[in-house]
Amino acid sequence: MAGVPAPSDDCDTAALVIEFRNVGKTYRSLLGNSVKAVEEFSLQVNEGEILGIAGPNGAGKTTLIAMMLGYLQPTTGTVEINGLPARSYVEHNGVGYLSELIAINPKWRADTALVRYATLAGIPEREIPAHVDAAIEKLGLAEHRDKKVKALSKGNLQRLGLAQALLRDEEILVLDEPTHGLDPVWTQRFRDIVEDLRRPDRTILIASHNLDELQRLADRVAIIDHGRLQRVVSTGYDHSRQSATRFRLILAKGHERIREWFPDAEEAGKDEYDVTVGSIQELNSALADLISKGGLVASVVPERSVLEQQFREAVGESK
Amino acid sequence: MSGGGGKLARYSLWQFRDFVMDRGIAIVIIGMLWGYVLIEPMRRTMGAAFAVGPLSPTWPLVITVTSSVVSLAVLIALNGIVSTDRKMGYYRFLFSKPVSAVAYYAQLFFVYMVGVLVCMLLLSTVMHMVVPTFKIVNYLLYAAIIYVAMGGIGFFISVATRFDWLTLAAVWLGSRVLRDFYGAKPGWRSKAVELLPPVHKLNDVSLSMITNGTAPTSDVLWLLGYGALFFALGLLLLRQGSLAD
Repeated sequence: MAGVPAPSDDCDTAALVIEFRNVGKTYRSLLGNSVKAVEEFSLQVNEGEILGIAGPNGAGKTTLIAMMLGYLQPTTGTVEINGLPARSYVEHNGVGYLSELIAINPKWRADTALVRYATLAGIPEREIPAHVDAAIEKLGLAEHRDKKVKALSKGNLQRLGLAQALLRDEEILVLDEPTHGLDPVWTQRFRDIVEDLRRPDRTILIASHNLDELQRLADRVAIIDHGRLQRVVSTGYDHSRQSATRFRLILAKGHERIREWFPDAEEAGKDEYDVTVGSIQELNSALADLISKGGLVASVVPERSVLEQQFREAVGESK
Repeated sequence: MSGGGGKLARYSLWQFRDFVMDRGIAIVIIGMLWGYVLIEPMRRTMGAAFAVGPLSPTWPLVITVTSSVVSLAVLIALNGIVSTDRKMGYYRFLFSKPVSAVAYYAQLFFVYMVGVLVCMLLLSTVMHMVVPTFKIVNYLLYAAIIYVAMGGIGFFISVATRFDWLTLAAVWLGSRVLRDFYGAKPGWRSKAVELLPPVHKLNDVSLSMITNGTAPTSDVLWLLGYGALFFALGLLLLRQGSLAD
């Protein structure tokens, strides 16, 4: 399934915004050694979509993003945004970008760094203070605005990075490991911010190791490994999928008869069982039968999220 | 929303501020120290006889010291002008904004040129107070020529390599040594060294320009042309190449 985008109902009619067409990137050293960071990568991202990019370390996520922003030239293939070469689009329109490594001159003050970026973003001079104040407010940086960048903690630096990406009302946002270094409160706050940013005419890319985060935020997730697109997973809780799924089942009553409905149930603790089903329908049918015969279900939790399972399968396959 | 015309022009104020804080103050301090350490002891010893004019025996020393301050200033100004943003990753946020990297760094080159000239104005004003025959305007003209000549090459090197300060110093020094070594010898080597940066023309140009405000046109054009060519090549490389490694 590598290289073939999964169909998405919502995206079929939406306008194409970003297109990776058979993109490859090979790094060559002076000694002639070469490393293929990305190979034959093709993917389309549509307007209004939140696309996640997941992959293990070194899979090629950041290289892909660098090519999408025009910071790197692909060795093969093309990356286009709204029909323009990537760099050309970014130079003319700009994108909201949060990089994995937050690199802001450490001598700059947090608020003046935002003023500088706002100036480059083309925000009219008289409107800059309002945009900067709004970004500072949104990211909770008010008490740190006078600090030098070098004095900010990892989490605050991450928030400053996100603040500069949100200075303008961008049509495209690219967030590379956006919650890296954030505490749980700000991780949740970030999710709320991204949800607020979802708009029919805005396209958002999020690269993350955090599959749970992608599961919650993204419409589709491109899983890449060894520089190749392994599969594209729709995160809309795809109930029609046919592959096996495991759940942790906790029963308040009826555990002595568990194997009538789940013959392969494995004990995972007191009244807790790991069960494997072929589909959500099969799970519900078995649970309904169990309940109708006097059983009481205390909890049903997916042992792994859909995305995590797909991720494990995809990365496993690529190895 | 790509409005806000002249955003890059507005950003030049930040670029100038960065120059003053990161480079300008250092250039002025080093220039003052350099001049004080090399010229002041001689002035104190010679008293009224010191450098009354271009015919004075100490005048070549004044020229050597002041011209070397210009070279040093250009070296400091151009150090990392492009490569630092790439090495440190600052380019990521800068160029996610609707800004052309070529226009950004071309502007930075000229903003730094203004910065270097302001520093040279300060230093030459002090020099003029010590040696009244020292002409500020001549010195600034010389500084502008050297900025374009040496700075153009420095700019190209900063685009092409991460080790720009060291490379520029090596190119500058290497060109001088190779020319001294092979320039007068027959054969292909003497022709090959003609392609190296025209550093050998600096002595004559500096003496003539700082003293009289003039220099042989061909020498000045050669210096300016060489620098301008490499500056243009640097911009081309920036346009065609990758910002990231």
